Amino acid sequence: MTGRIRWLESLLVHAVLLGATAFALYPVLWVLSLATSGAPWLEPRLWPWPVDPTLTRFVEVVGPSPDGRWLFGRQLAGSLLVSGATALVCLVLATPAAYAMSRFDFVGRGLTERTLLATQMFPGVAAAVPLYLLLDALGLIDTRTGLVLAYATSAVPFALFQLRATFDAIPRELDEAALVDGASRPVAFWRVVLPAARPGLAVTALFAFLTAWNEFALAATFLSAEERFTLPVVLHRYAAEHGARWDLFAAGAVLVSVPPMILFYWLQRHLVSGWTAGAIKG
Amino acid sequence: MTSTRVGGLALALLLVPAPVRAEQEVVLWHAYGEVESRGLREAVAAFERAQPGVRVRLLAVPFGAYASKLESAIGAGHGPDAFIDAHERLPSYARMRLIAPLPEPGLAVRLDLDPRHIEAVSIGSQLYGLPLALKSAALWVNEALLPVVPTTLEQLERAAVPPGHWRLVWEAENAYYVAALVHAYGGRLLSPDGRFELQGPAAERAVGHVARLIERGVSPPEADGDLVRQLFGSGRAAAAISGPWLAGDVPPSMRVRVEPLPAVEAAAGAPMVPYLTVEAGFLARGARQPELALALLRFLATAPGSLPRALTGRQIVASRAAWEDPRLGAEPVLVAFRQASVRALPMPTHRHMRQVFEPAARALRAVLRTGVEPGRALADAARQFDDAVRPPPGPRNPAPLLVALGLGLLVLLARAVRAARQPRWRAALRASLPAYRWVAHALLAVGLLVVAPLLAGAVTSLFVEVGEERRFVGFAHYVDILTGRGRGLLSAGSFWVTLGVTVLWTAINLALHVLLGTALALLLHRPALRLRPIYRVLLVVPWAVPNYVTALAWKGMFHRQFGAINALLEWLGGEPIGWFARFSTAFAANVATNVWLGFPFMMVVALGGLSAIPRDLYEAAALDGASRWQTLRHVTLPLLGPTMLPAVALGAIWTFNAFNVVFLVSGGEPGGSTEILVSEAYRWAFTRGHQYGYAAAYAVLVFGVLWLGSRFARRRIGQRGAVS
Amino acid sequence: MARVSLRGISKSLGGQPILRDIGLDVPDGAFVVLVGPSGCGKSTLLRTIAGLERPDRGRLFIGERDVTDLPPRDRDVAMVFQSYALYPHMTVRENLAFGLRLRRVDPSTVETRVAEVARMLGLEALLDRYPRQLSGGQRQRVAMGRALARRPAVFLFDEPLSNLDAALRADVRVEIRRLHARLGATMIYVTHDQVEAMTLADRLVVLRDGRIEQEGSPLEVYHAPATRFVAGFLGSPAMNFVPARLEEGRVRAAGLDLAVDRDERREVVVGLRPHELVPDPSAVGGVAFHVDVVERTGPESFAHGRVGPVPFVARLDEATAGATRPGTELRLRPTGPIHLFDPIDGRAL
Repeated sequence: MTGRIRWLESLLVHAVLLGATAFALYPVLWVLSLATSGAPWLEPRLWPWPVDPTLTRFVEVVGPSPDGRWLFGRQLAGSLLVSGATALVCLVLATPAAYAMSRFDFVGRGLTERTLLATQMFPGVAAAVPLYLLLDALGLIDTRTGLVLAYATSAVPFALFQLRATFDAIPRELDEAALVDGASRPVAFWRVVLPAARPGLAVTALFAFLTAWNEFALAATFLSAEERFTLPVVLHRYAAEHGARWDLFAAGAVLVSVPPMILFYWLQRHLVSGWTAGAIKG
Repeated sequence: MTSTRVGGLALALLLVPAPVRAEQEVVLWHAYGEVESRGLREAVAAFERAQPGVRVRLLAVPFGAYASKLESAIGAGHGPDAFIDAHERLPSYARMRLIAPLPEPGLAVRLDLDPRHIEAVSIGSQLYGLPLALKSAALWVNEALLPVVPTTLEQLERAAVPPGHWRLVWEAENAYYVAALVHAYGGRLLSPDGRFELQGPAAERAVGHVARLIERGVSPPEADGDLVRQLFGSGRAAAAISGPWLAGDVPPSMRVRVEPLPAVEAAAGAPMVPYLTVEAGFLARGARQPELALALLRFLATAPGSLPRALTGRQIVASRAAWEDPRLGAEPVLVAFRQASVRALPMPTHRHMRQVFEPAARALRAVLRTGVEPGRALADAARQFDDAVRPPPGPRNPAPLLVALGLGLLVLLARAVRAARQPRWRAALRASLPAYRWVAHALLAVGLLVVAPLLAGAVTSLFVEVGEERRFVGFAHYVDILTGRGRGLLSAGSFWVTLGVTVLWTAINLALHVLLGTALALLLHRPALRLRPIYRVLLVVPWAVPNYVTALAWKGMFHRQFGAINALLEWLGGEPIGWFARFSTAFAANVATNVWLGFPFMMVVALGGLSAIPRDLYEAAALDGASRWQTLRHVTLPLLGPTMLPAVALGAIWTFNAFNVVFLVSGGEPGGSTEILVSEAYRWAFTRGHQYGYAAAYAVLVFGVLWLGSRFARRRIGQRGAVS
Repeated sequence: MARVSLRGISKSLGGQPILRDIGLDVPDGAFVVLVGPSGCGKSTLLRTIAGLERPDRGRLFIGERDVTDLPPRDRDVAMVFQSYALYPHMTVRENLAFGLRLRRVDPSTVETRVAEVARMLGLEALLDRYPRQLSGGQRQRVAMGRALARRPAVFLFDEPLSNLDAALRADVRVEIRRLHARLGATMIYVTHDQVEAMTLADRLVVLRDGRIEQEGSPLEVYHAPATRFVAGFLGSPAMNFVPARLEEGRVRAAGLDLAVDRDERREVVVGLRPHELVPDPSAVGGVAFHVDVVERTGPESFAHGRVGPVPFVARLDEATAGATRPGTELRLRPTGPIHLFDPIDGRAL
């Protein structure tokens, strides 16, 4: 009897989880089938299977440009570079600061934290023009450096929250042991605390990477050389005013989604390491 | 070690700014799609051959970012030498001084361009651009379905087509196309002095006619350009109102012809007159190579520069000489479009023209989707138009504000000095010095590149841009917003109503995020659950895919006719729903999308929280005789709380400002009612004539609301914490 | 190896004084135990010596050097933490070698020292494991090894045994004592466990509310507690305290009447250790002990009950314990000193 109930319960659990999975995947499959359909869909369609499957869209998106250069390759490499550099710069900026906020009590810490939170609350709608002028004054318009700086700094507040939680979860005794063992503060930080914080760092880097990887408006405004365009800009060009090519847009979207998916898969165990460890301890 | 060094080197090389432009390089920007780009590229190549030593850098800018990119780039001196855009933007470009008049006023005439087109790109006697291509709609006819070309719209309405086919496919919710019908009924969209005229009997009759077309199944509902192309291209429509770009979607096997738009019997046989848009090459202000740029534009306007654009790019080129070429004469579709363009009405060259489309489209959707009576919908549109183009507030004297600011600063300074004198504070400051070394660079960077632009943005809320002038208007924007722009605090689209919608939006989303995320986490956390790793991976997919992509996918899924959701409803035996016709369903569509986007985050946070709850607590609860529900209620959920709290707080802020979803899915439909504060701010900044000051005031108000909300929440949570 | 001197060390945190004017001399090679209840400041004091906390006032010397303003790494001290604080991303070998590497000791020396320490603590088989692969006792030994490998002038222990089970704790206690004997190094050890304190210390420092309450050899402190607090803190079960009146060379209270060698008249608190009482029915006066419960632990038995209204504990020999039923009244005679304390300030009289 109980065996039967347990079996039923397990069936129910799997039914719910399967339903949720279907919910999670359905729109994605829709995009995928749009990208792989050789013919337009003209019926209301329930099942996201491609009509007349083909991979020509991908070839068209990825293939060489009319002038024979492999522009997509350069743009992909550029996107990876910008996003990777954003992650790196964001970590370089945020990690020491988050460490200090976790370990030191200093005048102005509360104000700093409130300001960081405030940046998340303030819509950036009117900030794009000042940011453009600022980067222009620094001579960084139409450079990847400028874009990386803009992305990295905008990712810093969230990175700080997350890294701070990560560091809070690492016992202070660890740093202190290193200090007594003969390390200076920076050495203890570099050789003991950072290695212990690796999962949190990786996840923070992932989010910073995604900030840059998915951003469209700033990239489109700041960059004026085609070979430097990031992939979202390339993708949005398929959404022209007349003759938009949503099939190519979908194919491009599928390609753009691959690196984040890989990173998520790779880091999924650690996705919230910082959040939870910090909260439970307190 | 070596690999990181090589990587660093590669990084350094790739991050180096672009090399200085070669002397003989001229830069041309456009926002063309694929086919037109190809034609333009060929034409430019011909120019390069004709002018050895000159290189043209063509840049295809995404259409969505074109105007703001031109504005910021040219304003800062990083713009192109020349760019291509539609003529009706000329007044606003001229007003913002983004373009320079052409040096030879008689140039266009000498190039033998059509005087009507020249007039469209001139202000007074001043010539600003060279007409390159024409855009106007015509009637595409599928001869297999419509052997006899109808001469009137009514004939077309009566034509017999097989079931499952449409008689006429067109973007009936797009004022650009509907204008043709309005013109037939003797109305117009804009008066020459820039007033909204899509009102009155003519406009109402035209809109009523459009509604009948949909009602009677002549035309498909909720059709966008994509659908028009797909339906006509697959032979499912007898006729289409569209531009020459449709050619790319017509298979070679299909026999089609292009005719001028038909006459309308109900309008006393007057013909439908579409708008004519003249795409012109403009000379950007601050061009580095003005002579070369002019030479390029000139070349593009001549026959050799036009033929590739016509033959490869399928453009209706403006050059009259080009049409004498036999190769063009052999293109019946292009020729037909050119003929149609002769009858088309050049879009008024008034800076308010662009502001007509958003309110007009809203009115059309209201009529076509919701069945609102045309007169009312158009009156609403007129009101929205007036809102968007209302005259800027008068200048104020900045002195009182400056004095107040100065006093405030003085008070702060005095307090700082007093604090600095206290020995305890000084000791604390000294003790803080080592910490500052760790945070300084991050705070400096964030302060410079995040906080300063935000503050500068906030300051723009005190100004208005009138052409090139920046006028200080004090708190006029705030007063305007908070008083509902003089239309009652609770009128549609007022700040307070939008605030209510935003709060509702945030609360519902957050509740569902937490509920769904926690529930799934609890299921996934069951011991001995099979397939757990697979579920876990698949359930976070929505988080990993770029959200602008999936938001668009959701929008498509909610399409009335072809969307998967309605297909599902029908499969389940229900009736299809016009999702964006009512507030409740449009709001629900937005929520569904945002819940989909946001639940994986909460789920992962909850999973982390669950795995951190010690197992012996469950055992203790079991020994105490707690049922599973009681264990959940009294052990699991309370212990999960602290983990979820920071995530919920950040989630609330993000949801409150989740402009992407609202903007892309419902677009504020119906009638702007599902707009949230941030998307409203974006509309003022980008679709209502770039009113940055006004948008900035919205942004500041959003910030204020969130700030108050967070303080309130903190106090409430603090109290609860104290009680427990 | 070095002497450690503290001169007038004071520290507050958030306006709350933690250490108040601490003066202490730890002779070279001594084993000093800082003991006291939680919150007495003993850990803060140890961390101040390590350089992890900065005193607000006072100076600190290690050897002849004033190290008050030096960072931990320049003090030549090693510390064993309560949580062990092993570096999770390093193997045992790397953990042991880390301090030496930081000091740029040449690799061959590092290797010899690690091997030596591993042999000394029986860690040879664990050298390539990570901390998470070790048991609690093994981790504790690695933590000690990490300090030993450094050969510092001063060893600091912050409750290093509190995470071990009782049996292991006794073993390690002996081990530490043996190490001290072998190395002859200065060791400062913090604990709240009075058994550890008594067994390990050359010198015992009892702290209370940020002050040194008493300092001396363990037996000195045990037998001659300077205050009622110290008397109550050391010894298990704790000393019995009975408020009484001193007059005519006797202390009297309900159920208590003892002769003392004093001729004042005043209120006092009488302190009697449970171990220093024997039943003596023939005694004149003595202690009238009403027994409630007898606890028999094997070698010893303790009777809990009351003297007058005051709770009281006494050790009983096997025979008496076997014969005593709850509810009986025993007459006890002190075999050790009778401690007298001031009822107000707790000082020994």
